[in-house]
Amino acid sequence: MTGLSNWDWDTKEKLLADINEWKEKFVNIRELIPSDDGEKIAAVVLTEDKRFTTCINGEVWEETFDRVWSLKFNPDNQLLCFVYRNFEWNFVVEHEISEEAFDYLWNLTLTPDGKGIAFNIKVGEEYGAYINGKRWENLFVDARDLAVSPDGKKTASRVQTKRKGAVDIFAFWEKIWTIAVDGNLWDNTFLAVWGVLFSSDSAHVATAVRTEQAQYTIAVDGKAWEGKFGLVWDPIFKPGSSDVIAPVRTPKGWTMAMNGKPIWGNFYQVLHQKYSPDGQKIAAVVAPQFPKWTIAVDGTPWNIIFNEAALAPVFSPDSKKVAAVVKDNNRWTIAVDGSPWMEKFDNIWDPIFTPDSDKVVAKAERNGRYFLVIDGKVGKQEFEHLWTPVFSPDGGKLLIRCIDKGKYYRRVVAIDEI
Amino acid sequence: MAEVKAVEKEVKIEEVLEPSLDKELRIKRKKVVDPGFDETIKRLTPEKIEKTINAVLNLRKTAARFLAPLETCIHCALCSDACQYYISHDKDPTYSPASKLRLTLWEMIRRKGKVSPEFIKQCARIAFTECNICHRCSMYCPFGLDITYQIGMVRRILFLLGVVPHNILDQDNSQSATLTQLWISQADWIDTIQWLEDETRLEYKNLRLPIEKEGAEVMWAPLGTEPKIATYHVVRTAIIMNVAGIDWTVPSRDGWDSVNMAMFIRDFETMQRVVLGLYENCLRLKVKRLVLTE
Repeated sequence: MTGLSNWDWDTKEKLLADINEWKEKFVNIRELIPSDDGEKIAAVVLTEDKRFTTCINGEVWEETFDRVWSLKFNPDNQLLCFVYRNFEWNFVVEHEISEEAFDYLWNLTLTPDGKGIAFNIKVGEEYGAYINGKRWENLFVDARDLAVSPDGKKTASRVQTKRKGAVDIFAFWEKIWTIAVDGNLWDNTFLAVWGVLFSSDSAHVATAVRTEQAQYTIAVDGKAWEGKFGLVWDPIFKPGSSDVIAPVRTPKGWTMAMNGKPIWGNFYQVLHQKYSPDGQKIAAVVAPQFPKWTIAVDGTPWNIIFNEAALAPVFSPDSKKVAAVVKDNNRWTIAVDGSPWMEKFDNIWDPIFTPDSDKVVAKAERNGRYFLVIDGKVGKQEFEHLWTPVFSPDGGKLLIRCIDKGKYYRRVVAIDEI
Repeated sequence: MAEVKAVEKEVKIEEVLEPSLDKELRIKRKKVVDPGFDETIKRLTPEKIEKTINAVLNLRKTAARFLAPLETCIHCALCSDACQYYISHDKDPTYSPASKLRLTLWEMIRRKGKVSPEFIKQCARIAFTECNICHRCSMYCPFGLDITYQIGMVRRILFLLGVVPHNILDQDNSQSATLTQLWISQADWIDTIQWLEDETRLEYKNLRLPIEKEGAEVMWAPLGTEPKIATYHVVRTAIIMNVAGIDWTVPSRDGWDSVNMAMFIRDFETMQRVVLGLYENCLRLKVKRLVLTE
C-alpha cells in the first residue's frame, strides 16, 4: 500500500457518506468500495431511468451506462471501472472514459506502484491484455488470468494458441496452451497451463503445466522442469531470485519442490506456499494427517492440526512469525506460530501484523456483525460492515473503514483503544 | 460438426464381433463408433499399453488389491440383478458386473498387461458404455467387493491411454485447460451473468446476479451447460435466490463450474483441480456455503 505516511492519521472520525440517503436516492446500490485511505467510498448505482452510474461520497456521475462494473480506487483516489453502452466497453479513470473501446474487459489490475492499470481484453472473438495505454499486438483464441510484472511494465496471461474444432480431442493433444508475455508466446506449448506469475525482477515468468495425460510440472520462461510429477500446484519465485518453488505430488506424497527437486518431507497435501519477506523461510498449508490441516515452516509442521481448514500463511514483516486463518469444528479463528486464538468466529479475514511484527489484527464476523480482533481479543465496537483495517506507518494507530448505523465512517483509532 | 454427424450415422451398424480377441472374450454387441475409441487406439503400441496397465495396477507390488476381489467372487450373480444394463438386455450374462470384470480387468491381470489395442477398445466400450458407475452392484455383493472401484480403475487405464468417448474427453480437456466444461472464456462467463441480469431485472425489480460479492452467504456454482446453452436455468436460480432473500454471489474467476467430468473418467488430477477451484473461490470470497446445481 503506497503513500501511507501522507494519509490523515490525526482526525479521529470522518463521516463521509450517509448510505441510508443513498438508498432513498437510488433504485439500487451495488457493493460499496472504499478507497485505501478511507477518504472516499463509491458504488455502482441504478438511477430512476434504469441506467447505471457511479456515486462517490454521495456525488453522482452524470454519465449513465447499460452496465458498470469492477470498481477500484487507485492510490491517488481516482475511481477506475469498466462501463458498457452502445454495445461496447470502455475503461474509466476518474470519470474520463477511454477513447478505445473493446468487446469485453475484465481482470482490472493496478500495477504494483498503483500508477498504471492493466486488464484482459476481448476484441471480436480474440483475447489478450492491455497495460498502460497499450494493447497486445497479438491476440489469441483465448486468454485467461492476468499477471502484472512488479515493475509495472509487462503483462502475462495463459493463452490458447490455435483454434480447435468442436469436440476435437486430437487438436488438444497437439498442446495448444502456453503463456503469452506482452502478447509474445513462449516457445513451448502444453496440454494446460495455470497459475502464471512474474519473478520479483520482472524478468521471468513461471506457471504450472500439464505435459502428458497424467504428468505435470512447472515451466519457467517456457522451459519445463526436468522433474515431472503426478500433479503440481501454483509456483512462486524466491524473492530476488529466479528460483521457483511449487507443491508437487510424488509417489511418496505431496512435498515442496525447488527447481524440480523435492526439498521437504511428505504430506497428504501441500499448497499455498509463501516466502518470508527476507526470502529465507518458506511456509505453506500442509495436511500431515488425512484430511487435517496445519501450517509448515521450512517443512516442519506446527504441533497443532485443524480438522477443517488452514488458509495461506502470512509472515510478519520481520520474517520471524507466521499467522494463518484456521477452521476447526466449523469455527474460524487465527493461529500465530501454531497457537490459535481462544475466540472463535463465523468468519475471519487474513491476519495483519503490526509494522513492528508485535501484534496481529484481523477483521472477524459473528452473528452477522463485524469486529476487529487484536491478538485474539475482540474489539469493543461492532459494525454493520467493516473493511480490512490498515496500520499507520508507526503501527500505533489503525485506520478503520466501516458502516455504522447506515453511515460510512473513516476512523483512526489508537491500538490500545480497540 | 461433419465428423459428429458421420458418427451418428455409423452407430446404426448392426451387431459385430471382435475377431481379434480370444474366442472366449468375443461378445456380441452393436458396434460403437466413436473417434475416442476408434481413432485413439491407432496411437497405441503394445509397449505403451503394457506399461500403462502395469503402472496403474502396479502388478509387482499391489496386484493382490485387484486380484483378491476377482478371486473372491463366487459368481453368485447377485450383482447382476443390481445392474440396469444386465436387466435391460434380457439378462444377457455378458452384461453382468462380474462378467464385465472378467472381460476387462481380469484379462489385463492374467496377461500381465500384454493386451492388444482391440482389447483396449473392448474394455472402453464395456467400462464407458455398459456401466455408469452407479455402485449398485457393489451394494449387492455379499462379500462387499467393490466392483465399481475395479471398473473405475479400468477407466483410469483407459484415460491414461486416451481411449475415452470423445465427447466426455473433450469436456475433461476443457476442464483441464479452463476449469469449465465447455471451453467457456472468462469474458463470456461474466458477460453472460451480466446479460442475464439485464434481461431478468426488467421483469423482477432489482433482481441481481451478484458477481464477486465478498462475504455473501452463498456462492453458487452452476454446471457449465447453464451459462452456455441453458441460460434459463441461471435465470431461475437467480429468481429463487432473490425471492428467498438469499445473499449470494458467483465468482468471476475460474473455479465456478461444478461439473466434474474428470471424476467419471478417472482423470484424478483434473478432478482435484476442479474441486480445489471451487473451494478456493469460496474461501477467497468468504462465503459460508457452496450451492451446486444438482
